[in-house]
Amino acid sequence: MINIKLTVNGEVFEDTVTERMLLVDYLRDQLTLTGTHVGCTYEGVCGACTVHLDGEAVKSCLLLAAQADGHEITTVEGLANGGPLSALQQSFSDEHGLQCGFCTPGILMNMSEFLTLNPDPTDDEIRHGLIGNLCRCTGYVQIVKAVRNAARAMRETS
Amino acid sequence: MATTEVEHSKDWLGARLARKEDQRLLAGDGRYLADIVLPGTLHAVFVRSEYAHARILEIDSSEARAMTGVVAIYTGADIKDVIKSMPQPVLLPNLPARYPTFWPLAIDTVKFHGEPVALVIARDKYVAEDAAESVFVDYEELEPILDPERALEADCAHVHEGDGGNEIFAMSFCGGETEQEKQANNEEVEKIFEHAAYTVKERFRVQRTGITPMEPRGVLCEWNDSDGLTAYITTQRPHIDRLALIDILDISAEKVRVIAPRDQGGGFGVKAPFYRENLIIAHAARELKRPVRWIESRYESLMNVGQERDQINTLEIAANENGKLLAVRNHCITDNGVGTTGVYWGFVMPFLGNVELPNAYTWDKGDVRLQVATTNKACLTPSRAFGHFPIRFALERAIDMIAHKMAIEPSTLRRQNLIPSLPYTSVTNEYYDSGDFLKVWDNLMDQADLSSFRAEQARAREAGRYLGIGFACGVELSGVASEQLVPMENQPGYGAATVRLDPRGKVLVFGGDAPAGQGHETTAAQVVAAEFAINPADVVLKTGDTGTTPFGAGSIGARAGSYFVSAVSDACTQLKDKITRILAHDLQIEASLQHFEFKNGEVIYLGDDTKRQSFKDIVERIIMFPINMPEGEVGGLETTAFFEAAKPMICFNADCCVVEVDIDSGEFKILRWVTSEDVGNVINPMVVDGQMHGAIVQGLSNAMFEEFIYDDQGQQLTADFEHYKLATAADVPDIEITYAPTPCPHTPLGTRGIGEGRPSSVPGALANAVCDALTPFGIEITQLPLRPNLVWKHLRDARQQSDH
Repeated sequence: MINIKLTVNGEVFEDTVTERMLLVDYLRDQLTLTGTHVGCTYEGVCGACTVHLDGEAVKSCLLLAAQADGHEITTVEGLANGGPLSALQQSFSDEHGLQCGFCTPGILMNMSEFLTLNPDPTDDEIRHGLIGNLCRCTGYVQIVKAVRNAARAMRETS
Repeated sequence: MATTEVEHSKDWLGARLARKEDQRLLAGDGRYLADIVLPGTLHAVFVRSEYAHARILEIDSSEARAMTGVVAIYTGADIKDVIKSMPQPVLLPNLPARYPTFWPLAIDTVKFHGEPVALVIARDKYVAEDAAESVFVDYEELEPILDPERALEADCAHVHEGDGGNEIFAMSFCGGETEQEKQANNEEVEKIFEHAAYTVKERFRVQRTGITPMEPRGVLCEWNDSDGLTAYITTQRPHIDRLALIDILDISAEKVRVIAPRDQGGGFGVKAPFYRENLIIAHAARELKRPVRWIESRYESLMNVGQERDQINTLEIAANENGKLLAVRNHCITDNGVGTTGVYWGFVMPFLGNVELPNAYTWDKGDVRLQVATTNKACLTPSRAFGHFPIRFALERAIDMIAHKMAIEPSTLRRQNLIPSLPYTSVTNEYYDSGDFLKVWDNLMDQADLSSFRAEQARAREAGRYLGIGFACGVELSGVASEQLVPMENQPGYGAATVRLDPRGKVLVFGGDAPAGQGHETTAAQVVAAEFAINPADVVLKTGDTGTTPFGAGSIGARAGSYFVSAVSDACTQLKDKITRILAHDLQIEASLQHFEFKNGEVIYLGDDTKRQSFKDIVERIIMFPINMPEGEVGGLETTAFFEAAKPMICFNADCCVVEVDIDSGEFKILRWVTSEDVGNVINPMVVDGQMHGAIVQGLSNAMFEEFIYDDQGQQLTADFEHYKLATAADVPDIEITYAPTPCPHTPLGTRGIGEGRPSSVPGALANAVCDALTPFGIEITQLPLRPNLVWKHLRDARQQSDH
């Protein structure tokens, strides 16, 4: 067992976990933050488990909970944090950028980092930015549109 | 906000309303199966076969049993005399077939790589994984049967011992009922082929692939002796699963409740069968009297489900000198896999696929034969474009090939042979109820602007660039009528909805189907809002719980826009009738539903618009104050409506694809994808667009990337997403959806169910475009997946031929 102390969505947690516990399981099973999903066999391909570690998008199935010790984690629940949806989240609703919603949290976490690095992306850049996230329902068409429109909205308000 | 754009009731139909589901899903507040936790839940992990075909000599689980936290281990021997074997009538189609006998866990012999052999249940999921790893199974390897054509030969060994052969199902279509009629038909077909000016005959091969949802399967079962079994299952058919659990586990019917979680991460057919894993998890929960949960890993999922297509179609078509299509003849051989999946058994898909072979064309005659072979692979499971993805690829390619022989535009040949008016009954006896194929086609051609494209193509070719254009179309089922579903799946096809009005003027709708992302909550709310002239925000849909919803066959076969919303609409009409009867009485007028308008939250008498009442008040009056009622009326406002269309219904779509091919590498890029759709009246265009986008990209992903590969020992080599490649955003184009609708005359709102079959026309359009680009080389693609290496090989062969 190992002691960890980390911040998740602004809240500080001190916990004892097994050495082998994956970060995604810690978030889902121990903290009951079930917005982060598991869509592949912990192989880092589907992207549904993407969270932010110190602001950087990472796949929480490829990290141990122990590796998050001393770091700041943001999950999809932390994007709006109980308040109104962020511009990116709202844009996904406005443009129907989600259907079943299973891949959506990972896409939101990936794209929210992406837009801080590239606030005015082309569609091609958005599509390449999404290759770490698999979606089976939407064909990506309206996801690209949602990200594009969110980028515009965020530029206009910043 | 979209919700304020609409002022008037009827305008809710067709409104681009943001989905009601989105808020929770975007905030991370969805509740999928893996998010449901019951106190004391145990975790189950399957030990699965490492061989395609082997005898089980010994299972030693002593090390696993000794681990702290392990609660139970089941093997085939533990359940063989406790759980009934399948098949059981509840899961049998009304089709004659050689149904294999099996139990949830393998008994004596394993028959595909990934078959469940043992089940380990522990308090902690990590411990359960460790324990499953430590279960030792000693196998004696047997020769696997992997080639469907070889499997059908008389001297081939059998996958299932003692059942007389590997042909699980066979059928011939088109030839009438008796052998004599069939022979006469087939002789006529042969005569047409002998004398036809043009014929094409090719062997078309489509690989094993399907539509894998992002959320794998899962089951959580809870038992107590007074309430019985509550089973949470990732399922498109909770009511069917319930019947299966009742019948197979011998539980009294009132003691079984199945709940499909409100949020499900895609289904696409994969969550439609009844699976053996459900049975053993329910059995364990009953024995242990503790909640037991199994969450499928992606590895297990890719090894067991989402595998479909896998057909060899030897297809022939004939046309006369004027380009009239005359006859179609097909011999389909499908690789069924092991055939141990309830409801579908692997062969129901190619059965329906062959019925759908004729597509939108007027054939004089047809001769269609199907043979389905059992092999030592995972059983085929349904996937969107149920059974007809390979067959439509074959037909749409053959149409282009015969047009090439005639030296006419394939699009011209298609238009000339489209069924000019409906209704129509195809040569395989499929009924097409309504629509206007020519209108859809002409709209597509307007979008495509073929003459401009041909000019551009010629200019590009002079510059050494190879552009191509391809077309295809598809007739798809709009819901599945009882007259189709009873024989095919032993289930009713009607839609069902309960509409309950609330004393505060809100509306609750209950549906027995179990959506997985299609937007039912929003669509149903728009229908109810339009009927009662209220706001969709005041309508809530509950689905998936057999304890609260009316019986429904499930979220399958484009049933939402066809059967489900029609039941919702009919239920609303019944309630409006009651509301206006009582309102007329209160207003002391002689009037009925037709004399009233529901508008802006009010019910208004058309004969004198000062006579009106708010919807909320009249609803409260009928539910809460049922005094001074008309004679014979009682209070309350709730009803369940069942909808069955008079005839099976269809929708229709057509695709145009433009590609550029690199003739040195064989790589190709899709430059444009534009469609034309008849989906009838649209309830929410954003939702319908989304269904089309998703289906088309699934079709592209199947056509270009995805392939389940078994090696020569039957080892499944593609059970992770690094080897089973799905299309990413960077792999696929933007898609333009256009509409040329004809309202369906057989649904109350003129809507059609859409989306299920939609991927089927995609591979044909894509391959036709690639071949069109390569016209100078005379290349005809006859297999999928269509990847650059295949194109490169064709180019190499064409160049070698021209060198000689």
